Amino acid sequence: MKKQLCILATLLFVIALAACSDESREFTMHEPGVYKGGKDPLLAKERHQELNDRFMKVQTDR
Amino acid sequence: MARMKFLCDTERCIECNGCVTACNNEHDVPEGINRRHVVTLKDGEYGEKSMSVACMHCTDAPCAAVCPVDCFYTTPDGIVLHDKDLCIGCGYCFYACPFGAPQFEEQNIFAARTKMDKCTFCAGGPPPDNSAEEYRQYGRNRIAEGKLPLCAEMCSTKALLAGDGSIVSDIYRQRVVRRGGRPDTWGWDTAYDFKGSKE
Repeated sequence: MKKQLCILATLLFVIALAACSDESREFTMHEPGVYKGGKDPLLAKERHQELNDRFMKVQTDR
Repeated sequence: MARMKFLCDTERCIECNGCVTACNNEHDVPEGINRRHVVTLKDGEYGEKSMSVACMHCTDAPCAAVCPVDCFYTTPDGIVLHDKDLCIGCGYCFYACPFGAPQFEEQNIFAARTKMDKCTFCAGGPPPDNSAEEYRQYGRNRIAEGKLPLCAEMCSTKALLAGDGSIVSDIYRQRVVRRGGRPDTWGWDTAYDFKGSKE
């Protein structure tokens, strides 16, 4: 009886420990050469002129 | 289309490591990682040259070519970024990169290699711009704020330039023409007057 209780307690402890894991359960099926990561909001923005203006303001020779 | 590039003028770099410190501070980079490092050749000898190196955001990036999970993507500005949620920490990119840009945190107690970390050109990653999640994983997104990488913006001698490749190369070309093949008014020759002592 004592042994069974011990096994049950160990099992409960392991399950409780696994439940605490914050690792994502999601997975991504890989396809060669295909990016399947998150979409970067930066990709949709046009900042060329803004960045050029910033460069001329900050980095040009004194 | 513009391509964002770094350029380090070796005639101007004084090996102050300010760029490294600025980068680490701005992005709260984990211990054991330096996204940027300063390489010095002929250290302590005549002709010593230093150069600040990080990810060069290659046009045809070898890290992206070897990545087994294809976690790399390139922005329209030519900035090479990666998704840490896809990265498996295999380290192939580290071996492929000729600049030593991919970095991995020091191994933890279970000897597991961490996700790859590298210079993002201060452009963050896939999470929403300047969100807490983006900052935690990739650091600050200065590009989304209309700013350029801090390492270049704070460089005291303007050795490190970061911006549109055509503008950067134009500035460097002007410098080379102005120097006329000679070093700038600072540097080894000026500091130690080697020319005078040789005569």
